Amino acid sequence: MKKTSTFYVWVSVCSIVATLTCGQAAVYRPDLQPPGHDPQPLDYHTFTEATVVVSPGLTLTNATLVIAEGHIVSVSEGGPTPAGSRVWNMRGYTVYPGLIDPYYAVSPDGTKVRTTGATESNHHDHQNLRDHRAAGDWNFYGMTGDEPDPGSEGPGSSLSTITPEYSVLDDWHFEPGQRKELRNLGFTAVHLSPSKGIIRGTGAVSLTGEASPNELIQKAETFQHLGFNSRASKSDEYPKSLMGVISAIRQTFIDTQDYARRSGNDSQKDYNPSLEALKAPLNGSQSVIIEPGSVLMASRAAKLADEFGLRFNLIAQGQEWRRPDLLASIDAPFIVPINFPEIPSLPEEEDWEAVDLDLLRHWDWAPEVPSVLASQGHRIALTLYTLNDRKQFRKKLKQAVERGLPETTALAALTTIPAELFGLSESMGTLAQGKLANFTIVEGDSYFNPDHPIESTWVKGIRYANEAFDPDAKKESKEKDTKGEEKHSRIARSPLEEFPTQEGPDTLLIKNATLWTSSALGIIEQGDMLIQHGHILEVGKNLSLPSGDLGTCLVIDATGKYVTPGLIDAHSHSMIMGGVNEGTYPSTAMVRIADVVNSETENIYYQLAGGLTIANLLHGSANPIGGQNAVIKLRWGKGPDELIFKEAPGGIKFALGENVKQSNWGNDRTTRFPQSRMGVPVFYENRFTAAQQYQAAWKVFHDGEGERPDRDLEMEALVEILEGRRWIHCHSYRQDEILMFLRVMESFGVRVGTLQHVLEGYKVADEIAAHGAGASCFTDWWAYKFEVIDAIPYAGSLMHERGALVSFNSDDSDLARRMYLEAAKAVKYGNTPPEEALNFVTLYPAQQLKIDHLVGSLEKGKHADFVIWSKPPLDSGTTCLETWIEGVKYFDRFSDSDRTTQRTREKARLLEKAKKAVNFKPSSSDPSSETEEEWHTWQLFFQRALEKQDEGRIIHCDD
Amino acid sequence: MTFKPFDTFHIMKKTLKQRTGHIYLAALLLCLFGLQARSETILLKGATIHTITRGNLDQGDVLIRDGKIALVAESIDTVADRIVNLAGKHLYPGMVATTTTLGLLEINAVRATLDTDEVGQWTPEILSWRAVNPESELIPVARANGITHAQPIPLGGTVSGQSGVIQLSGWTVEDLMVKPTVGLHVWWPSMSLNDRPKELSNNPSNWKSPKDQAKQRKQRVREIAEFFESAKAYVSHREQNEEAHKIPNWASTTSWAKGKTPLFIHADEKRQIASAVQWADENDYKMVLVGGRDAWRLADMLSEHRIPVIYDKTFTLPSRGEDSYDAHYSAPSILAEAGVKVIFSEGISRFAASSIRNLPHSAAQAVAFGMRKEEALKGITLYPAQILGMGDRLGSIESGKEASLIALTGELLDIRSQVTEMWIQGERVSLESRHTRLYNKYRNRPKN
Repeated sequence: MKKTSTFYVWVSVCSIVATLTCGQAAVYRPDLQPPGHDPQPLDYHTFTEATVVVSPGLTLTNATLVIAEGHIVSVSEGGPTPAGSRVWNMRGYTVYPGLIDPYYAVSPDGTKVRTTGATESNHHDHQNLRDHRAAGDWNFYGMTGDEPDPGSEGPGSSLSTITPEYSVLDDWHFEPGQRKELRNLGFTAVHLSPSKGIIRGTGAVSLTGEASPNELIQKAETFQHLGFNSRASKSDEYPKSLMGVISAIRQTFIDTQDYARRSGNDSQKDYNPSLEALKAPLNGSQSVIIEPGSVLMASRAAKLADEFGLRFNLIAQGQEWRRPDLLASIDAPFIVPINFPEIPSLPEEEDWEAVDLDLLRHWDWAPEVPSVLASQGHRIALTLYTLNDRKQFRKKLKQAVERGLPETTALAALTTIPAELFGLSESMGTLAQGKLANFTIVEGDSYFNPDHPIESTWVKGIRYANEAFDPDAKKESKEKDTKGEEKHSRIARSPLEEFPTQEGPDTLLIKNATLWTSSALGIIEQGDMLIQHGHILEVGKNLSLPSGDLGTCLVIDATGKYVTPGLIDAHSHSMIMGGVNEGTYPSTAMVRIADVVNSETENIYYQLAGGLTIANLLHGSANPIGGQNAVIKLRWGKGPDELIFKEAPGGIKFALGENVKQSNWGNDRTTRFPQSRMGVPVFYENRFTAAQQYQAAWKVFHDGEGERPDRDLEMEALVEILEGRRWIHCHSYRQDEILMFLRVMESFGVRVGTLQHVLEGYKVADEIAAHGAGASCFTDWWAYKFEVIDAIPYAGSLMHERGALVSFNSDDSDLARRMYLEAAKAVKYGNTPPEEALNFVTLYPAQQLKIDHLVGSLEKGKHADFVIWSKPPLDSGTTCLETWIEGVKYFDRFSDSDRTTQRTREKARLLEKAKKAVNFKPSSSDPSSETEEEWHTWQLFFQRALEKQDEGRIIHCDD
Repeated sequence: MTFKPFDTFHIMKKTLKQRTGHIYLAALLLCLFGLQARSETILLKGATIHTITRGNLDQGDVLIRDGKIALVAESIDTVADRIVNLAGKHLYPGMVATTTTLGLLEINAVRATLDTDEVGQWTPEILSWRAVNPESELIPVARANGITHAQPIPLGGTVSGQSGVIQLSGWTVEDLMVKPTVGLHVWWPSMSLNDRPKELSNNPSNWKSPKDQAKQRKQRVREIAEFFESAKAYVSHREQNEEAHKIPNWASTTSWAKGKTPLFIHADEKRQIASAVQWADENDYKMVLVGGRDAWRLADMLSEHRIPVIYDKTFTLPSRGEDSYDAHYSAPSILAEAGVKVIFSEGISRFAASSIRNLPHSAAQAVAFGMRKEEALKGITLYPAQILGMGDRLGSIESGKEASLIALTGELLDIRSQVTEMWIQGERVSLESRHTRLYNKYRNRPKN
């Protein structure tokens, strides 16, 4: 470890001091304290016989460190002690470069700052802002006249959560107490980061010493800050969902592009300080820090940054152990909080058993996250962010080191890397000549051993003693890690270990099955199906393997078994994170489910186990115009973008009736337009008229005859509908509104993709069929609210009989596991022939989603998406044995018991480890109330990953 | 289908029962209805008879006399007032739907139509049947899929009140009411700690810290014990001292305080169940477990204590990450294998009353995942009848039992089967409903 200095150059101390003061000598310095004040601290020191960690990986022993006027003059092994300096003998001490926290979140209102997931209040006052509203041309709020614009007072963004013009220097919240706490941990500089809202503003690097803010600030307007925080806005203000947050960010950067294009020329029409502030990130002159809030959103953040060419840094969430594979290719530094959950003390023995496996896994994995990220080759910087009890920092840091983070990497992550991030390597990060005299002195030999106390921390050459340091304290070794190995080894498995092998055979032949093909071939008894490279090559009888190179090859004897196409659910919310409704504006055409697809939810596995292969993920039904859909294939184990069925044309959720008029949302919601079924068509006419105008403006521009219009994501989606490139899936109940909707859309030349739920569709089946819309319905739900009082289970059969294209959907993550049994209900209610009934969950939803040229039936050329059943697919006694997508097996009933066994065993071992960790002893007496500390341990432990928050919950349209 | 909703005979019989003293009236009615009365016989011929208790008759006959099953045999040659040809059909006892809100609610989202919940933690004197709306549109829909009897239950509070049994046919609520009280409903306190922080809680004002929750759950269990101790004391005091002041709340618990009739204890979590079973055992209370999500993890314990389980979680997502995807599909089979009587229920959730017609689908799913078909069928017929104290009257096709029967185009556990006929106490009951009416109306809408 310890090397001999190779760069030692002895230069006269005097000359250095002269150099340092040169140029300042002429300046009047009112340093001299009046009498009665503490005397001026000395500014010339020499540290002798010290172990000096000059930089990560370079340690000098028996070194001499000389500082003067707040800067490092020299550091050398065994160098002389200059005369006139205060000499500190440092035998037995180790000097480290001052640590730098790259993300010290400050809260303007003084409240404690927590992670993105936590609730926050707003620092802006929103009362009576109507006169100050700052809405742009294409923005549309759909509010009635009484509703104030939700934006902030004065110029800027129309959203109160978008304040890029804010600087942490606007209101200084870096108090002496905070600085002292930091110094006592060895930190000499921090990056003050704004923490509120979605686009949060810029930060500044400050020293942690005691001086005026002007002297402390080392760099201002460092980075722009983004947080994917769906709880940032006040009630009812856009955006309230995660997908809304992404859309708001996206639109704001698009607005900035347009604004920047117009700036300074004749077409500039306004001055917008928010957009002004975002020019810098957009033109690459300023980086951004993104706090994504979850591992999947980290991957999303990287893509969003790419979309606008932003240089970026990511705040890690601690959950990165779930899917490091999705982060591997991200070329950005990670700022990693050193905060790992600890096991809370649970009141009773049985409470342990109730703890989720996923939470135990997170607990066991968390200290390994810094190492996981570093070993992937990411540049990492470490931060105190989210750590409530900051005294725990060194203990937690030690945990990270014990779990594989090399000490040099850890030290770099606290010194040189953050210095580089802020472009301050010239003045910080190492103990090199000319840099600021920022360092911390540890008694003993390692900062990474929390038993070695910090004696003092020096900031810009001024000594700040650690008051807690007692040089006479007995240095008992607290090391009692006799079972060290067990403590430091991880028991929890990676979810990646559980995903299916992602490769299928090159050639696959299914023999002797009863094939329900959902095609003109009908049902083939004793049928065979030949599959190559994920596609169906042939379906028929007595097929044999083709000649030529078959690659890996598998033949399945399916005698006595049944094979159907993979089932398709035309209405699902099961794999959506951060809210299914952006229930603020009545039109949220700009939000995209594709931004928030949850590839980690167990729902995927559970639904595969019921033969489902494709789901149409829809926005909820809160708004007349909802968000854009995402059709996914249930490729369990792939990341969100790989789940997307890319060939499926775009869709969008619309909704009618009780939900959009908010009639079941309590008595407070009475002002958003529309509140009646009269207002709904008016709303559509308004929006599509606007879209036509938007479309026309762009045409004029493309024809070279007009100014380039500003882009608007809501309008773009509506224009796609007008142009037949995006299909409407409209939640609808009553017959009158169904007809109204068809007629309004016809008046704009739009054919509706599907009517969803369409409970009274059977009353107007002829009109639906004539229009050409699909009808995707529940089988037998009714009576749960007033508008479904006329729903009947015969609806599917009846609409089918009268020529409409019918599918059955789930709208429910439990029901989606049994679409085959739902199909059987078409036989029961209305005598639809069984083969046709199966089509309700295979071919017909494929046709409704315009993907039937690829999936939905067992036909030559289509994707090899199929299910093997134990009995005929509509038989109540049947079970799904295997589910395949594109020739890859994603579910196998017989492997499921292994999964259960392994998980059960894993949980038992984790519980054992957890109990040991807290030294749990069952007690029969009533527990006393929590201390605050205990409560924080609780909260951190039970903080569920965003990806896992809705596990086991049934989410419907109106959620 | 053009059956009248109710046979005139049915009304008359009820009238007879209620006014036995009124000889003149009875005689008059006998004259009016002639030979049909009292001795009417119906012969159901040729169906596959699923007796539930004695296996199947591939082709058999059932003779109904005076609303009761008189004879079940391969072939009955006798003169009957009516002969119904059921060749090719399957005959089952009518299904008995336990623990439901059917009749007590119409449209969940419309508060005015809800009569399911009452105020107060301890309201044993509540009788659910008294709020049943005989005209509920949900009742004919339930009937149309073969449910002849139901047990509407009161919700709300810790001891929410008493449930009764209704038959799904009759002019008045009194016609519907078959048994005013069968069980007292106890809602066992949850043993799970809610770990959501206060600021994320749905109801921040009710939020409690985990340790306070741990205290509270113990307290709430003690409160239940205390309630029943008091009930016992009151009941014995009244027995010894007839002039004692009557307190309706305590008085209504007599049958349970003495351990005569079963307590229907609602519990889903393993610990909840274990705690309830232990308490019931210590006090010699009869117990029926309702809900029973985790019952499969305590199958042996439930079997040992002979506690039947009303299981309403067949169609529920796994509750723990380490459970198999089919944990709740397989649970009935695990319980049955251990010797526990499993009764299927659609439960009391938001959609449950309107979806009660799917009751046989739950049983069918249990069979698909390992349960013996005979046992699953019992779980929707005989066992529910037994726990409602009506095992001698309902739940199987045996001579002497009520002729509450259903005929289907196929097996009851096959979703595709359609119910074609229903008899309740020998009366042919209409299978028409709002759904069939709307279906027929719009099926006949002239083509555009």
